[in-house]
Amino acid sequence: MKPAQILIGVIIAALAVTAGFWAAQAILKDQAPRHDLSATRFPVARDIQPFELIDHHSAAFDQAALQQHWSFVFFGYTYCPDVCPTTLSILNGVAQRLQDVDADVRFVMVTVDPERDTPERLAEYVTYFNGDFLGVTGSDAGLTQLTRQLGILYNRVEPEDGAAGYLIDHTAGVFLFDPDGRYHAVFTPPLSVDRLAGDFRKMLQDYQ
Amino acid sequence: MNTIKTGLLTTLLLACLCMLQAVQAESTITIDSAWIREAPPATSVLAAYMTINNASETDQQITGMDSPDFRSAEIHRTVVEDGVAKMLPVSGLDVAAGGSISLEPGGLHVMLFDPQRPLREGDTATLVVHTASGAAISVQATVVRKTGDDAGHDHSHHHH
Repeated sequence: MKPAQILIGVIIAALAVTAGFWAAQAILKDQAPRHDLSATRFPVARDIQPFELIDHHSAAFDQAALQQHWSFVFFGYTYCPDVCPTTLSILNGVAQRLQDVDADVRFVMVTVDPERDTPERLAEYVTYFNGDFLGVTGSDAGLTQLTRQLGILYNRVEPEDGAAGYLIDHTAGVFLFDPDGRYHAVFTPPLSVDRLAGDFRKMLQDYQ
Repeated sequence: MNTIKTGLLTTLLLACLCMLQAVQAESTITIDSAWIREAPPATSVLAAYMTINNASETDQQITGMDSPDFRSAEIHRTVVEDGVAKMLPVSGLDVAAGGSISLEPGGLHVMLFDPQRPLREGDTATLVVHTASGAAISVQATVVRKTGDDAGHDHSHHHH
């Protein structure tokens, strides 16, 4: 073998190793194993299939609305006296705590009660907790398009005496979407500002 | 004549004892730190939280609550099963002798329907707690606005 052939062989081998390393890095972008997260993070963030909802300004809220920024998304309803206001207050705490991060972070409540939660009602409700929060509603079909792929359950419970209006059992987690618009992680209850803000900083570090 | 007198005295004595018992029953349950979460405008359902103490030597049961400031009040418990939050009505709340029970966000709470007047931070509303022994304990709950780290659940952590 001539020295030139050996050199070419070495260069090809070096290129292959480098390419392999790059490929691995690209594939493993979101796979950095961590044992200090309380959130459930997917090894590879999941793509979201098309869905069509509207936000409280009556603008379209679809896959594109989840891109170019991080989104913390909660599913609740405005006639919910305990879990939903508690969660939205916690999300406001998270928003305050994350003011210093170098990332665009948004907070969204999607109603599981589109029948009662109109855009106007949602606007009043979510902005009470934080003027930048976004309320999202839509048709039952649009809601199902999104909830089905996230594994979200909600179930209307009629009151026994018929006097108090119905309640809705609903998945109480907070879902995190990354700037690629992919489903990145989920926080299951009990939620706290510490958990959400702390885990987000770690995930942001891994993502960049 | 004597029998009438004795009878009258006995009746009086019994009446006194009954009243004493009623007063005692009432005084064994006390309520601490009652508060109502301020709700966004136009919200018709609110939640109240409190600590119920039983200073007596017998177990007591809370059978319900009502309020002149709301159309109705129900004790509920939030439970999370497989990530799904549900609110279950609670018909009787047992408070052990010498014990106490905390109603707090994400757990036991009083669901309040249709406030009779707008309730904003700093206002108070009256809640009446009923016991199985027939006592009715009235408590003033303060309306509080929760906005962040103080939102609930995380009582074990203090950062400030």
